[in-house]
Amino acid sequence: MSIFAVNHLCREVLRDHAFRAAMKSDPAKALAPLDLSDDERRALLAGDVGTLYRMGVNAFLMNYLARFEVCGLNLKIYNQRMRAVKVDEIGQPVG
Amino acid sequence: MAQIVAGFGVPHTPIFPHFVKRDGPDCEIAKLFGAQKAQLAAERPDLIVMFDTDHLNTFFLDSLPIFAVGIDRSFKAPNDEPQDVPNYIVPSMLDVAAHIRSAVVAAGFDVGMTQNYSVDHSVIVPLHFLTPDMTVPVIPFFISGHVPPLPSAQRCHALGRAVAHAIESWPVALRVVIMGSGSFSLEVGGPRMAPGRSDGVPDPDWAMRVVNYLEEQKIDRLIAEATQHQLLKAGNVGGELLNWIAMLGAIGDRKPDYVAPQMQNGHAYGVWRWN
Repeated sequence: MSIFAVNHLCREVLRDHAFRAAMKSDPAKALAPLDLSDDERRALLAGDVGTLYRMGVNAFLMNYLARFEVCGLNLKIYNQRMRAVKVDEIGQPVG
Repeated sequence: MAQIVAGFGVPHTPIFPHFVKRDGPDCEIAKLFGAQKAQLAAERPDLIVMFDTDHLNTFFLDSLPIFAVGIDRSFKAPNDEPQDVPNYIVPSMLDVAAHIRSAVVAAGFDVGMTQNYSVDHSVIVPLHFLTPDMTVPVIPFFISGHVPPLPSAQRCHALGRAVAHAIESWPVALRVVIMGSGSFSLEVGGPRMAPGRSDGVPDPDWAMRVVNYLEEQKIDRLIAEATQHQLLKAGNVGGELLNWIAMLGAIGDRKPDYVAPQMQNGHAYGVWRWN
């Protein structure tokens, strides 16, 4: 259920304003209690949304990370990293 | 007896309320919604039934129905902070919503429900423009259009017909408007965004083809071509077209008064009236 945890925390950035503030000030500490794999935690802290997308995280939900500018992301950076993911015509990662 | 008096297809882009506040009543968005608002008011609706795709806010990946109806006396919105949308309490009709659910389940559609619920921009943004005083009751009917597997277009069209039969079997006289909310081609936050934006229109040809099929009343063709593959090819929220298809099923595949495309957003504003 690990990818679920990533999807869920993305929505919590929208819903839970205290969590949003914690993710903005100290994301490593905010993520520490969550049940994430090492790869997921590393990708989140690096703002590596491309890797997370390839792992199966929901893009619509990850967009909240850019909207609220957590994990070093903003609209521009998020857009560049996500658009770098190679996908087929229905948006599934390839290669 | 309740009767269906009109159908509307609406976009729900969450930033539109901000754009209209910023750009004023003469901007394109304000004019397109304003035209629909006048058409809707002329129908004097007692109730709006809106087919909508929740954006993982009313429901989530821990519990995600393919179809569900909101059953309560009112609901709150928005629950996802779209800019310049006030907090609303929207009246609903609990008894009618429960009746619709019972009737469509009896007709073979296994429809879930939610009570004591809130909704996101996909319901409230069109209402913000069309019924801003929030005096017209609204029943949201949720269709899962974002997270595959998607229900088939054929199934959603048949669901719309079943909802129409349910409404028409309600014994109290009500003027009911059916709405379908959503885009025809749109990618939000995914790899097919346009450069520098948070969204994009991956399949503008499909969006235009949808508009043409709606205008030409080629609904069978639309349903045949709106496969899951095509809907996903149209973007990660391309399945929102299913809400329009359910609306068409409910109103009976009529010719529209107009379908006004806004192709830079991959969506349109549609009105079907016949009285």
